[in-house]
Amino acid sequence: MIFLPIVALAVGILLGVLLLNGGVDPRLGVYFGIACLAGLDTVCGGVRSGLEGKFRNDVFITGFVSNVLIAFFLAWLGDRIGINLYVAVAFVLGARLFTNLSLIRRYALTKWQDAQERKRLQALAQSNISAQPETNL
Amino acid sequence: MNPFANRIQTQQQWILPVTAMCLILGVMTSMAWVNDRNRTERLQRLDPDQRARVTTGSIDLDAFQSMSTEVQSLREQKSKIEKAMADQTGQGKILEEQVQTAELLAGLSPLEGPGIQITLRDSNKGPQSFGGIMAVTSDSIIHDIDVLRLVNELNATGAEAVSVNGRRVVSGTSFRCVGTTILMDGVRIASPVVIRGIGDTQTLVGGMNLPGGLVSEIRQSDPSMVEITPMMKVQLPAFAGTTQRKFATVPKDPKDSK
Repeated sequence: MIFLPIVALAVGILLGVLLLNGGVDPRLGVYFGIACLAGLDTVCGGVRSGLEGKFRNDVFITGFVSNVLIAFFLAWLGDRIGINLYVAVAFVLGARLFTNLSLIRRYALTKWQDAQERKRLQALAQSNISAQPETNL
Repeated sequence: MNPFANRIQTQQQWILPVTAMCLILGVMTSMAWVNDRNRTERLQRLDPDQRARVTTGSIDLDAFQSMSTEVQSLREQKSKIEKAMADQTGQGKILEEQVQTAELLAGLSPLEGPGIQITLRDSNKGPQSFGGIMAVTSDSIIHDIDVLRLVNELNATGAEAVSVNGRRVVSGTSFRCVGTTILMDGVRIASPVVIRGIGDTQTLVGGMNLPGGLVSEIRQSDPSMVEITPMMKVQLPAFAGTTQRKFATVPKDPKDSK
């Protein structure tokens, strides 16, 4: 279940390769690159809020769409007005991506450690019960 | 809002939306992907230093692959020709002479003769002061255009054959700038650039030292950037690149081409 997004990502790439066959206008390609970064950041943010238990569908979907569009637009605008705005976008999104990923790692680590601890305690309780069955009755 | 509402919801309900967005993200990624077809156009939009990083390795690999297939086919061709040569002797000799003339013109045979050697190197002068601002000028670096023009001047002065950094200059040779290096026929060369030409030594040296010529132009920014050596005997290698032509063919009847 947890691997579903990764599988979907691979399927999406395959789909894009098969359908578009690399036929996107190269000038747009740069903007798509920055939009990808925005999408990646939002997806990571979604996973993180999911792990935090704060996930809200509407926030996630609108966030994804608007982040992608804003990143695309800023990169385009930067080229129009002669400022490398896409560097600013890449910088901000890259930093956020790192924050999100590090938080995901922490949550996953804590979860795993909790599970280990629970297992240990359960095993301990089990052995206590089996060692002294009479006293508990 | 009920603070416990989140706990009551099923834990994994974020997975499906994230999966759906991942699918879209995947399609977008493949749209943004840099592949062989859009590489050149995309590269032009990168910063020069980023371009140099991205192109490292990719172009040389292509050149290597095309050359190794060329070597393979040439070997087969060579053994075929050798066999044919062994079969017929009289006619073969005349043919061989003609082939040698053609190869000489096309740069396919190694040559030697009197000539000249010119070494171009980047200036090792440090940053210079321009009204208090320290900067390395563009003039202190050997560019693709310098090599291109020098080869042209050599040819114009009467050089019969020219090589650059041990690679033969032929009719289709190109010089281009990629990042901090020069591409000659798709192969990277860098300072120092050694250009050798075969021809009348005195004429070549005189032509190179012409006032107002390219060499004097380079010498103005730093005399140590150019070094001209007259040579009694210059050896030039044969052209080692691909000789295959995809589109050009010789017309059957020469009259048709008029």
